Amino acid sequence: MQDTAVTVGTGAPSRPAAQGRLARIWARHGAGYMFLLPWLIGFFGLTLGPAIASLYLSFTNFDLIRAPEWVGTANYARIATADPKFAAAVKVTFLYVVLSVPFKLAFALLVAILLDRGVRGLTVYRAIFYLPSLLGGSVAIAVLWRQLFAGDGLINSLLARFGIEGPSWISHPDYSIWTLVVLSVWQFGSPMIIFLAGLRQIPMDMYEAASLDGASKFRQFYKITLPLLTPVIFFNAVVQTIDAFKAFTPAFIISGGTGGPINSTLFYTLYLYQEAFGNFRMGYASALAWILVLIIGLFTAFSFLTSRYWVHYDD
Amino acid sequence: MTHKISRRSVLAGGAALLSMSAMARSALAQEARLRVLWWGSQARADRTNKVNQLFQEQNAGVAINGEFLGWSDYWPRLATQVAGRNAPDIIQMDYRYIVEYARRGALAPLDDYLGSVLEVEDFDQVQIKGGSVDGKLYGITLGANSAAMMVNAAAFEEAGVDLPSPSTTWEEMAKIGAEITQAGKRKGFYGLSDGSAVEPLLENWLRQRGKALFTAEGKIGYDANDAAEWFTMWQNMREAKACVPPDVQALDQYTVETSPLSLGKSAASFAHSNQFVAYQGVSKDKLALRSHPLISKDSKGGHYRKPSMFFSVAAQTKDPELGAKYVNFFVKDPKAAEILGVERGVPESSAVREALAPTLDELGRAMLDYVSGLGPLAGELPPPPPSGAGEAEFALRNVAEQVGFGQLDAKQGGETLVNEVSQILARG
Repeated sequence: MQDTAVTVGTGAPSRPAAQGRLARIWARHGAGYMFLLPWLIGFFGLTLGPAIASLYLSFTNFDLIRAPEWVGTANYARIATADPKFAAAVKVTFLYVVLSVPFKLAFALLVAILLDRGVRGLTVYRAIFYLPSLLGGSVAIAVLWRQLFAGDGLINSLLARFGIEGPSWISHPDYSIWTLVVLSVWQFGSPMIIFLAGLRQIPMDMYEAASLDGASKFRQFYKITLPLLTPVIFFNAVVQTIDAFKAFTPAFIISGGTGGPINSTLFYTLYLYQEAFGNFRMGYASALAWILVLIIGLFTAFSFLTSRYWVHYDD
Repeated sequence: MTHKISRRSVLAGGAALLSMSAMARSALAQEARLRVLWWGSQARADRTNKVNQLFQEQNAGVAINGEFLGWSDYWPRLATQVAGRNAPDIIQMDYRYIVEYARRGALAPLDDYLGSVLEVEDFDQVQIKGGSVDGKLYGITLGANSAAMMVNAAAFEEAGVDLPSPSTTWEEMAKIGAEITQAGKRKGFYGLSDGSAVEPLLENWLRQRGKALFTAEGKIGYDANDAAEWFTMWQNMREAKACVPPDVQALDQYTVETSPLSLGKSAASFAHSNQFVAYQGVSKDKLALRSHPLISKDSKGGHYRKPSMFFSVAAQTKDPELGAKYVNFFVKDPKAAEILGVERGVPESSAVREALAPTLDELGRAMLDYVSGLGPLAGELPPPPPSGAGEAEFALRNVAEQVGFGQLDAKQGGETLVNEVSQILARG
């Protein structure tokens, strides 16, 4: 180990103290960092580097072929004042977040509670219910959705049995966003698993005591389960909200990349993609990306600020 | 000390590996390598790969790497490759993008090879010009096509309606559409697709009125009244059930597979003549190729023959002459022509066309006859679309949908469209 210290420290022979500390860190954590190295290279090379580059590009006009041309804050000014499509995209995205996150969490919680009631073969059910989350983000499922909710799709065939003639759900501006919400809710698996773990943490004796005191099941849920579960709900809400803001694939596939009909599925990320790879405005798209970072950051900060009023930490 | 040594030896090993792979690469580089990138269907890829094989056989030491994508994935891929200094040597180019790519210095001018490597003397000069930007030649046309109506002949027959003729007017077409819908021979079936968002169709209609999509200066070539009248015409057809309802039309991603015609929702869709093979390929019924309707019986027609696509040589290529040689082989070699057929449009070389004619199947024949038989319906090739044209097409689709779903009336639609397109073009 002494040899290692010499090797690492050769760069700064005049500062033996720092040298010693570095060597100790290396000795203790070196192997760990080496294991982390692939991830670190990816993080700095493929995530942080491009992110910083995109911050620079957001102040330029860049069409991918000619060199970027500095335009100052013109891109941001345009986003703020003169881009109706930006406004449309923000509206659609907020609508999606506001609709999909609560429905998804409520559904995930419901399924978790049902599974928590000591169902036999829990692991099997857990796996089955988790499956959509594994598949959900994929192109194949989005294509499947197109088939289900098209004018002559499965959903309308079912409705026809009850004498209802449904529209083409995915291509009607009033309904298309709902097909995306349903797709999102269907992928309730990961919040469900977390809820399930959270439910297991709640001590049984609380329920026993409540039963003895004559509290109904509903009251037990309302007074025990929900408050004790709030940290988990909070965690799920934050994660799912961030995910919903970043959603891209379903809207891209279902609308064929257009965000249509009439911008009704124009997710923010889809608009960003169109500007970048459809209209080759990399600078403008970078500015859009940083605005999204800002929006998500503000949302998350807001969630954390309000959390102390409703999230109950036991310890 | 062991640690240090082992680290050094690891580095040395790595360096040895690196240099070995570099050597392997330089050994490979001794044979000339051409990367060819194009968009299109599997059928196009099969034909293109066969021609590439042929070129390799005839040119020892040349290896060709072909790669193809769908239209909408193609442009992002090309742009990123060009930006990454990793451009393919041969680029399939569209009339819409050639100006942008040429002006940005991404394409190699081919004028020096004219008359030597490139033997395109028997091409229609107008079509050659179509590949020129600022007086220099940047693309060799791979064939001519024109906008066209794909018609389900079987469905017309079932409904007892005659196929449209070159002199059919829009008024008549609306009646035909409504008749087919009313005949009700198929479930959820309509006469026409809703073409209000189809840019080449709007262009055809505008040209008959003496207008254009874009002026030569890259401005918008029509006004709000034109657009309002266009939307009104389609609104009337929607109300008369001559065309599909808006939620059926909105499923159309303007690809062969998603058009109402291919999905069995309508008896006529609007596309380009060279796509006839692909449309017939996904349809069980017999299709026919027809010209666009006229605004009046004595109208001059709004068609034009355009280069369906080009082959361009990348400015970044190591050997532009080899690139030019490949392009020439592609458009002139009789064997290559026989493999390619008219899938990329009608070949420009008259010698190739004559040699090809007897070998064509029925579909190819129909396409050749359509393009060469347009006669007085075809006018001059318009100037290449300005940058922003792609976005303008999106705007047309968006506004057409707003009118279709009743969020705007035709007059508001006309104003909105002209406003949006003007702004897009001003931004460039």
